Amino acid sequence: MTLLRMFAIQTKMNFVWYFRRDGEMMFWTLAMPVFFLVLFSFAFSTGPNSGSATFLVPGIIGAQVLSSGFWGVGVMLATFREKHLLRRVYLTPMPPWVFFGSLVVYRMVLLAAQAVILVAAGALLFHVRITGNPLEIFAILLLGTATFISLGTIIGALARTTESANNIASILTVPLAFLSDAYVPIDRFPHAVSSALRMLPSTQFIDTFRDVSTHGAPLAHYGAWIGALVLWTIAGTVISARTFRWV
Amino acid sequence: MDQAIVVEQLVKRYGDFPAVDGITFAVPHGTIFGLLGRNGAGKTTTLECCIGLGKPTSGSVRVLGLDPTRARDLARMRPRIGVQLQATSLPEKANVREVLVLYAAYYGIAPRAAEMAERVGLGDKLDRQIAQMSGGEQQRLALALALQHDPDVLFLDEPTAGMDAFGRRILWNEVERLRDAGKSIVLTTHYIEEAERLSDRICVIQRGKIVAEAPPAELVARYGGDATVSIVADGFAPGESLDGLGTWTLAGAKWTLATRGEPGLALAAIVTHANEIGATITSLDMHRPTLEDAFIAITGETIGEAE
Repeated sequence: MTLLRMFAIQTKMNFVWYFRRDGEMMFWTLAMPVFFLVLFSFAFSTGPNSGSATFLVPGIIGAQVLSSGFWGVGVMLATFREKHLLRRVYLTPMPPWVFFGSLVVYRMVLLAAQAVILVAAGALLFHVRITGNPLEIFAILLLGTATFISLGTIIGALARTTESANNIASILTVPLAFLSDAYVPIDRFPHAVSSALRMLPSTQFIDTFRDVSTHGAPLAHYGAWIGALVLWTIAGTVISARTFRWV
Repeated sequence: MDQAIVVEQLVKRYGDFPAVDGITFAVPHGTIFGLLGRNGAGKTTTLECCIGLGKPTSGSVRVLGLDPTRARDLARMRPRIGVQLQATSLPEKANVREVLVLYAAYYGIAPRAAEMAERVGLGDKLDRQIAQMSGGEQQRLALALALQHDPDVLFLDEPTAGMDAFGRRILWNEVERLRDAGKSIVLTTHYIEEAERLSDRICVIQRGKIVAEAPPAELVARYGGDATVSIVADGFAPGESLDGLGTWTLAGAKWTLATRGEPGLALAAIVTHANEIGATITSLDMHRPTLEDAFIAITGETIGEAE
């Protein structure tokens, strides 16, 4: 009861402090993805891929999952440490899982909101149709979010300063968004390259998510990739837990 | 268990640098223990080792009989200690009420936001966001957060650094009230006045070592040196009636008496003597040894102000 109340209040405060009172954050979270969708749709509309918006909607959602983990959690944790917020909460009886759990819930709700907005924008502007099983779409989105938040937490655990966390997140997020089938179809690369890129957890997640949501593919077809994502998540969580520093 | 805190042979090295170099002290229940020293003397590091923020290189720390380096002990310790840290450590967009409510939830107690804010002089600022508060106001909020769950032991790290006179008075009164309520308090400070006013015992720290430890009055008596009375008076010279008060020295026209006795009585005797011999007093000055004199005598340096 006490822990639930703690969790609920912490989660609510995450929204109020880091989202509702932060105009820049609201803009980046809610408006920028739609802006990307429109921009890239027009940029690629002359290409052979007639369904470029259909490609982009799940791709941008996937890229947001990546940046949510690397920036939203990883860099945020490094900032918290640098501003001495972490050492302050470390002195209280709050269990670490409440702190991290509330951050995860916060990021997941924001991602869900982003996904809904992107899907709606895709449907209205480009007639994108989401045909997959909603439960399976939700499941893969949840797994991907867990994977990249757990990997992002490693950045937050190991980066000494906000600046270095920022650099690591940039180095990972920007290239990965282009090499993981998010914005650009990697099938345009030579086969050897695209096969190699499909070994990345980001590519595996985004491809699975896209196929399940816009192509209506059954999630069960992606057992190996799902297993890999689960392993990445476990590895990320274990490494983060072992290396995380509050001070 | 008559000691709230016991620190034994505490050493904390950062690389080769010994920030704390073999410190031993004990804080009895219901007392205020002041760690006095310059910035960088090792006060904060010592305090951090007491609350589980730093792991001692060697030596031991017990708070309420618990060992902060052991996870299980630290978990039992946390609800019973309150901590006010130096640096700002709250989210910028949070307001006073929200922070107090959240911290109440951390400790599983009913929030007392309005009452706590009132207690630290922030009663009219419940909706003020951290970013819009002065350093002193943030420090007072930090104190409220340290107190809300009614801890047995308080750790205050430079609690009044950057505070104005108003904030300082609030904090001092609150700390004394808590001591009278039986709480044990450790505070670090580089303000002589604060250490003297609040501490039951003062521990002077220099370069990671304790160089003196005693109640403030005893530190002054032991290290502060003699009281002095200086007089400049036309035709004055110490006479027989002033024998035995102490040692006289003459510099220019100024006679100075160094005395171990009560300087007020010596001053009265000197004035009487001057009047008897018809010496016209130009200037008269009395100086009682202070904790600052003692500090300088102990450490060989002034305490300096925060930059």
